[in-house]
Amino acid sequence: MSLCTVSFKARRGRTLSAGLIAGCLLGPLAAAAAPPEIPRGQHGEATAEYQLEELQKLMPQVDLAESPAGFDPVVWAAFIPEDNPLTPERVELGRKLFFDARLSDDGSVSCATCHDATRGFTDQIPVSEGIGGQFGKRNAPTVLNTALLQTLFWDGRSPTLDHQARLPILNPIEMGMPNEEAAIKAIRGIPEYEEGFKKAFGREMNYEDLGKAIGAFERTLVFVDSPFRRFLGGDPGAISPEAQAGWELFNGKARCMTCHPMNPSNPLGTDNRFHNVGVSARHQDFEGLAQQALKAIQEDASEQKLDELAIGTDMSELGRFMVTGNRADIGSFRTPLILNIGITGPYMHDGSLATLWDVIDHYNKGGEDNPFLDGGIEPLALSEEEIDQLVAFLFTLTDVRFADQNQRLFEAQRAAANEQRLFRDDAAAQRRTLPFEQRVMGAQGKPE
Amino acid sequence: MATYKSVETRYLEDRRAFFRGLRNLDRRSFLKVSAAAMGAAAGLAAPHSFTPVSVARGAESPPGAAPQPAFRFAYISDSHLYERDVNDRFVRGLLRAVDDVNNLDPQPDFVFYGGDLAQLGQAKELELGAQILKNLKAPLRIMVGEHDWYLDMGQKWRELFGPPTYSFDHKGVHFVVLNSVVERDFWTARGMSPMERMRTVAGLDNGLQSPFTVGAAQRKWLQDDLARLPDDARIIVFSHSPLYKLYKPWNFWTDDADEVQAILKRFQRVVVIHGHTHQLLTNRIGNIHFHGVLSTAWPWPYAPEGMPEITIQMSRPDPFNPHDGCGDGEIHVHPDGLVDKVYSLWNRNPVTVSRAYMLSAGKESVPPLPNRPSY
Amino acid sequence: MRNAPLRCPASAAAGTICVLLGALAGCAQNAAPPGATGPNASERPPAITPVAATAEPSAAAPAAAGGETVAIGACDGGAAVEVPSSLTGQPLADSLMDQWQRDHPEANWVAEQQERHALIPPADNSDLLKGDQGKDHAYGNYTERDILTWARETEKFVAEGSRIFHSADELGSTVAVSCDMCHPHAANTHPETYPKYQTQLGRVALLRDMIDWCIENPVRGEHLDPNGAKMRALEAYIQSQRKGVALNYGKH
Repeated sequence: MSLCTVSFKARRGRTLSAGLIAGCLLGPLAAAAAPPEIPRGQHGEATAEYQLEELQKLMPQVDLAESPAGFDPVVWAAFIPEDNPLTPERVELGRKLFFDARLSDDGSVSCATCHDATRGFTDQIPVSEGIGGQFGKRNAPTVLNTALLQTLFWDGRSPTLDHQARLPILNPIEMGMPNEEAAIKAIRGIPEYEEGFKKAFGREMNYEDLGKAIGAFERTLVFVDSPFRRFLGGDPGAISPEAQAGWELFNGKARCMTCHPMNPSNPLGTDNRFHNVGVSARHQDFEGLAQQALKAIQEDASEQKLDELAIGTDMSELGRFMVTGNRADIGSFRTPLILNIGITGPYMHDGSLATLWDVIDHYNKGGEDNPFLDGGIEPLALSEEEIDQLVAFLFTLTDVRFADQNQRLFEAQRAAANEQRLFRDDAAAQRRTLPFEQRVMGAQGKPE
Repeated sequence: MATYKSVETRYLEDRRAFFRGLRNLDRRSFLKVSAAAMGAAAGLAAPHSFTPVSVARGAESPPGAAPQPAFRFAYISDSHLYERDVNDRFVRGLLRAVDDVNNLDPQPDFVFYGGDLAQLGQAKELELGAQILKNLKAPLRIMVGEHDWYLDMGQKWRELFGPPTYSFDHKGVHFVVLNSVVERDFWTARGMSPMERMRTVAGLDNGLQSPFTVGAAQRKWLQDDLARLPDDARIIVFSHSPLYKLYKPWNFWTDDADEVQAILKRFQRVVVIHGHTHQLLTNRIGNIHFHGVLSTAWPWPYAPEGMPEITIQMSRPDPFNPHDGCGDGEIHVHPDGLVDKVYSLWNRNPVTVSRAYMLSAGKESVPPLPNRPSY
Repeated sequence: MRNAPLRCPASAAAGTICVLLGALAGCAQNAAPPGATGPNASERPPAITPVAATAEPSAAAPAAAGGETVAIGACDGGAAVEVPSSLTGQPLADSLMDQWQRDHPEANWVAEQQERHALIPPADNSDLLKGDQGKDHAYGNYTERDILTWARETEKFVAEGSRIFHSADELGSTVAVSCDMCHPHAANTHPETYPKYQTQLGRVALLRDMIDWCIENPVRGEHLDPNGAKMRALEAYIQSQRKGVALNYGKH
C-alpha cells in the first residue's frame, strides 16, 4: 500500500513535518488495525468485487418509494433533481459505473478507489491518489449521506451529485480521461451498459446521463443509524455519559452547532456554507496566491480548468475564492458533513488533521491566524476532559453498521493522539496569547 | 421681507428635492449583483466564469470615468478596549485591524484612529491601545471619543496623544480634527463619581447624559482655523459624533450641528469622517459629504428613524461571528478633495461608497443592497 | 453604586417600612421582633429581617445620656447607621429614613430605570372602567386603583429586566459585556419573530433560547435557567420595547 507522499509548502517549518507525520500516521495505523484479508487493488483500495459484496451486506435492499428513514420526506423530495428521478434502473446502472475502473485512462481507478465502501466511502488517507500514482491536493470527502448537500467539492463548485460525478473522470490527476467522448467510448459496446442506459434513460448513452446514474446510486447511500440518533430518539443508554457531555459542549461552549447543525430536516451536520478556519493558512501566502489566481482564470475560465487548478496546483488552498472571486471566500472551504466522521478521517480539505483530537485542538486554539479567518473561530478554552468528551461524542455519529471499524479507528486515533498532539496550543486556547498578537506585536511583544 | 430658514430646514428641503429626483431613477442603472455573488448565494447555478474582483479594495469607479485618487489613508476606529484580562475579544479585534492595515500594499499615507480607543477611559485601557497602535507601519493620527474622555475629562488622553483639537495639511488637503463629544455637565448635580459619569456616557441608550456638541469655543477655533482658506479649498473634518442630527436617543447626534455646518457652508465641498456609529453610514447635506466608519469591537443596529436616505445599510450582522459587521477601512482622496470610502468588512466583501455615488445622488456606482436589512 | 440587589421590596416606601418595623420593635422593650419567633413566624416573608434581631434591644431603648449614639443595622444588609440614642418613635424612624435615602440615591430605582432608558409603559387599561356590566360582575368590577396596581407591578418587572439587560455583572458576563452594547433600547432583538429556526442554535428557538445563547456566547456568561427570575425579567423588557409591533413568527 502506498504511503502518503504529500507535498505541503508550509509557511512554518514546524507544520510541514506535522503535516507529513499526521498524514502518514493514521494510514498505516488504520491499515494495521483493519482485518488483513481484504484483497486490495493498485491504489490501496479494496477490490471492486470485495466492495460490492460489502455493500450488499450493508445495504441488502434499497426502497426507493419513499424517503429513507431519518430524512424529512419534504426536504428529501426537494433534493431529488427534477431531471433525475430516483429509479431502480438508474441506481443499478450507477452502481455498476461507480465501481468500474474502465472509466479511467489507465484502467486502474474508479470512483470506488477513492470512495471505498470498506473505508467509509472515502480512502482514509490525507489526499487521494489517482492514475499513475499522482496525488492531488484535496482530501476525498465521503459519499455517505451526500444526498442533502447543497454543493459538492470542498469549494462547492458542483451544484449536484450528478454534476460532480462527471468531473473526476476528466481530471488528469484523478481518472485522467482526456474528454467526455473517451469516457463513453470506454464503456460503449459493453452489453450490460448498452442495456442499462437504454432502460434507465431510454436513449443513447451519453456523458451527462452517466453522471446522473452515478448520482442516483450515490443518493441511496444513506447511513444515519448511529448511536447518537438512537439517543436522540429516546434511548438514554445509547451513548456514554462522556459522549452526552460532549453533545452538551457541541451545543454550548465548543460552539460547533452553528456551522455543524443537526436537525430532522438537515441531519448531516453541515450548514452548507464556506468558512476560513485557518487550515489553508498553514500552507501558503494568500494575498500573493489570490493575485496569481486572478490572472490564471482570466486566461481560461472553463469549468474543467477550474477543476484542474483546484486539484492540481497550489491555488487549491484559496478554496471557494477560486469559484466566486469574492474576497470573503479566500481560504474558505465547505463545512463538511460530520455523520460517520469516525471512519472518514483524516480531516480537513487537505487531510492534514489525522485524529479528531487534532481537530478539536485546532478549533480550541482559534484556528490559524490569517487576514481572512472567519471571526466565528475563536479560542475556546476547552479543558482536556472536555476535549475527550467532544471526541467521544463525535465517534457516536457513525452508523451502527460500521461499528467495528469505528471502534478500531477510535482506538487507533486515541493511540496516535496519546503519542503526539501536533496542533495543540494551550496558551492560545486559554487566551494567554491572543490571535493576531504574534503577527502584530512580534515574538517579543505582548500587549499588557 | 426676507424669510430666514435655519440650516436644518434648508437641508430638509435639499433632501426632499434631490430624493424627488431619485424617484425617477432608472432601475437598470443600479449596479447588478455580481455574477459571482449570485452563484455563491444560490449554490445551484453552474459555476460561472470568474468575475475579477480587486482583492484589497471594493468596487472602483468605472475606468476613465472619474479622476484617480490623489492619495489614500487607512482608518481604524472604536475599539472599546478593556484590559486584556477583562476582555480579550476587543483586543483581538484591534490586533486584527492593525494586521490588516500593515498588510496593505502599498502602505497608506497615514492611519487615522477614529476615537473610543478605550471602553471606560481607564489609563490601562488607553495605554494598551497606544501600545498596540505603535505597531502600525504607517504614521498615526488620532481623534478622541467619549469613551476615552469622561473618566478623567481627557487628562490621560492628552498625556498619551496630545491635544484633542488640531488641524494639519497633507498633500494639499486641510484636515481638521474636532472633539465633538463635548457634553453639558450632567454629573455634578447628581453627585456622580468619575466612574459613574463614565459609565453613564458609555451607555449608548443612557438618557441621563447630554447630547454631544462641538461647543462654542471649538466652533470659534474652527472658524479661525478655516478663515484663511479659499472657498474651493479641500477640507476633510474628523469628528467622532456625526456632525448632523440622526437619532438623539443614541447620541447619533451633534446638538450644534447647524452652527458647525454653517461654518462649513461657504466651501464648495467638505468631507466629514466620523466614528461612533459602528456601521455603514452615509449622508449628504448640501456641500457636506458625511461618511461613518466601522468599529473593530462590535456593530450597532441602525436607528429606527432619522436614517439618511442615501445610506445603503450593511446587512444585519450574525452574532455568532463577533467580527461580523466590524472591520477597518480606507479613504481614497480624489484631487478635488472628495473621497471614496472603502469599508473593509471582516468576512464580507469590501463595500465602497464612492465619490461618484455621492455626486450622482445615489445613481451611479451604487453599492450592493443588503439582503438582511434592519427592521 | 449598589453592589448587590436589595433583598427587601425595593421601593422607598418598603424601605421605610422595613426600618420602621425594626425601630418600633426596638422601642417595644424586648418584645419579640415580628417575624423572628412566634406562631406566625413561618408565614412571614423570609426576606425581611427585622432590625431588632441584629441590634441589642437595650441599645434602642430610651437612654438618658445625651451625645451617645447607637448603631442600627439596616435590613438590606447595608452599613450600620448611627443615630443619637435619645431618639425614639417617629423622629427615630425619620432620621433612619433620611440617612438610608442619602446612602441609597437609587432607592427609587424604577423611576431611575425609566429615566435612563426610556422604558415604554404597559398598555393603558382605563377602558376597563367603562361599560356598565363591570359594576355587576364579581370578577370584572375593576377600579382605578386595580389598574394602577397592575401597571405598577408590570412596570417594575420590566424595569428589573432593563436593569439586568444593562448590567454585565447581573448577566454574569466574564468579559464585561452587557446586552445594550449591541442592543441599545433592545433594538435588533425582534421578539415578535419567535418561534423561528435560529441558525446559531441549529434548531427552532423561542426568545429565551436565543437570550441564553447570547449570554453564553457574546456575553460569555453562565447559562441562565429558562424559568428563573432573570430570564423572565429579560424577556419582559425585550418584549416591552417592541410594544405595538405585529407578531410575525418565523421571520429572519
